[in-house]
Amino acid sequence: MNKIKKYQVHNQKSAYLFIAPSLIILTIFVFVPLLSSLAISFLNINIFMKDISFAGFANFKKLAGDARVSNATINTLIFTVAEVPVQIGVALLLTMYVAKNNKYTKALRAIYYLPFVCSMTAIGIVWSMMLDPNLGFIPYLLKQIGFETISFLKDPNLALPTVIVVTAWKGFGYTLTLLVAAVLNIPESLYEAANMDGAGEWRKFVNITIPSILPTISFCVVTTTISALQVFDQTYVMTQGGPLNRTETLVQYIYDRGFQTAPYDLGYASAISVYLFTIIAVITFVLRKFVLDKGENANA
Amino acid sequence: MKRKLVAGLLSAIMILSLTGCGNSAAPAATEGTNSTGNKETTTTESSTTTAEGEAVTLNFWNVFTGSDGDILRTIVDNYNQTNEDNITINMDIMPNDTLQQKLPAAIATNTAPDFVLFGVENIAPYVSNDSLEDISDFWETADVDKTNYLDNVVDLSYVDGKMYGSPMQYNVQYLYWNKDLFEAAGLDPETPPTTLEELEEYAVKLTDSSKNQYGLGLPTSATYMQFLWANGGDADDVNTNENLLNSEENLKTLTWLQNMAVNEKVTPQNVSGADADAMLQAGQIAMYMSGPWQINGLNEQGINFGIAPCVAGTDGAYSPAGGCSFVIPKGTDDAKKAAVYKFMKYWLSDAILKEWSQKNGFPVWSKTLLEDTDIQNDEVLSSISEATEIGRAYNLGYPLASQIDNDVMIPLFEQVITGASTPEDALKQASTAMDTVLGQ
Repeated sequence: MNKIKKYQVHNQKSAYLFIAPSLIILTIFVFVPLLSSLAISFLNINIFMKDISFAGFANFKKLAGDARVSNATINTLIFTVAEVPVQIGVALLLTMYVAKNNKYTKALRAIYYLPFVCSMTAIGIVWSMMLDPNLGFIPYLLKQIGFETISFLKDPNLALPTVIVVTAWKGFGYTLTLLVAAVLNIPESLYEAANMDGAGEWRKFVNITIPSILPTISFCVVTTTISALQVFDQTYVMTQGGPLNRTETLVQYIYDRGFQTAPYDLGYASAISVYLFTIIAVITFVLRKFVLDKGENANA
Repeated sequence: MKRKLVAGLLSAIMILSLTGCGNSAAPAATEGTNSTGNKETTTTESSTTTAEGEAVTLNFWNVFTGSDGDILRTIVDNYNQTNEDNITINMDIMPNDTLQQKLPAAIATNTAPDFVLFGVENIAPYVSNDSLEDISDFWETADVDKTNYLDNVVDLSYVDGKMYGSPMQYNVQYLYWNKDLFEAAGLDPETPPTTLEELEEYAVKLTDSSKNQYGLGLPTSATYMQFLWANGGDADDVNTNENLLNSEENLKTLTWLQNMAVNEKVTPQNVSGADADAMLQAGQIAMYMSGPWQINGLNEQGINFGIAPCVAGTDGAYSPAGGCSFVIPKGTDDAKKAAVYKFMKYWLSDAILKEWSQKNGFPVWSKTLLEDTDIQNDEVLSSISEATEIGRAYNLGYPLASQIDNDVMIPLFEQVITGASTPEDALKQASTAMDTVLGQ
């Protein structure tokens, strides 16, 4: 008895040791900034850190009346609603073809995964060059086959869709890898039974593959949605929020208020961060409740 | 077993995705180490500079990322080798938005460089946050004759009667025109437009969409105060905090501008300043308003161009003036401040100012240098002297200046030039936005 207790205590101690590094990193880079920005959102404070005073809810009141916040919210939501289905849909369709283990599918999977490994900044710059109406080869090709010169990133109606496509292009390889791993885990016997019943490829995909990997799909929906709501790198590099603020997302606007436009109002920028945090928290909660749980149940 | 494999794969991907997220934060992190690096050098040096006459190392940040940065570097290197005060300047060039992110935080944490060179429009916001050293004693301490420099240039570095910067260069916007394109369009290549009507007339004649050639480059993400001023309009009154946007004059100007940009299609649509610069250098834009920094690029590309003053409207011709100054961040110690004064004095010598103006095409503002025969015979410098006379300060010394630009004026001109709103609506929106900014 005594021996067991001793062993347990010892075991717990080493457990703390193991989680300590990640806990310290999380505390320094996540929890402390999270709580600080909540505190800062109630202050009148700019980047010079002089004359700090308590602001009450002034920053939040200002936020409610700021047309650029509502514009950024709408842009962020449009981005999320369009990007997540595209990224997951493309990955899902490709899963049908590459979820086998042979030379070609392995090579294809590696190729699809490549953009995800690259930095968004580098990808953003490369795409901006390829899409540039004067220098880029995509507008040039389109012109050769009879289209007018299109400035994808500078046309107010095309800029956001273009950013969405580039983001989905970068991310679908990641989703694909997760889905393929799940598909390879499906017992072969299910497919054999379906074959005997004379089911076609599409039928097998819809009735066996998708239900079997539903938990993984739900996981992808949740994580992709969260990262889509925090979209920043791509708009910062490719459009700087323009033209006409049509691609200005919430994080972009937070950055602009805090670090780009004098008087570098950190209090106001933090208030918008808290607002974004709330949006993400609510959406994640809803998704967890209705998507993630459903997925787990389907598996059970 | 397979389940474990999936779990392992999932966690591996999670880790990868985490590092992926980390990528975006990486530049900020390196910047952090950079400024701490600076801190280390500063602390070690300050211990060696306590005694007089010993070596002083000055850290110097600036925003000269263009070809002018190379010339600045040559001058600084030369100073490092020749000065007799044992001063070494470590120069760090970075884009303006990087500097604007790093500097306030560096000043707040006492890790700022010893002096900085940036646009005079930045002085007021920094002063209002008590982040720059008052250097009103500069002229006397460094023994430099203030009266030798044009008042309108020196004044740019003053806020509320106190001096915070030592002038480095002065510029206004010019009207560049491509003489070859003028000739091809049947216009006199030696006669640029002088009025708004002529500008429009010429721009239409010079536009040929089949050749991807435009009469006048009007990038968005810029302001066109010269047009508003030309007809007697304005944006705001710095002294009274008054919103001056809602006026008949402004509406008239903006209607004219939209007609020219949208209906007559004289400008490439939705181009940035950098795009328009490139198109000007490629001979795709016939007329363009910009600062002296275009001159070197145009010469390199072999463009046959002329420089004229901005065009006049019913109220006259004006051009937004700007400049750059050396400033000293708050917290720089006296020994280093004295060393910075020495370099500022060196810059204000006629030899350096002459080199700078001749190599970069920037206007001359030293009275003794204006008498210099080389300067008087310099083709570019004499052609810009007339264009420089119409310089007019825009929101200078006003802490809200950059916010007015970003939140009010740039969106206003963008809406008008792209045709996203009617001039009436765009002006109404801008006026509301202006009230918000001024009401703070």
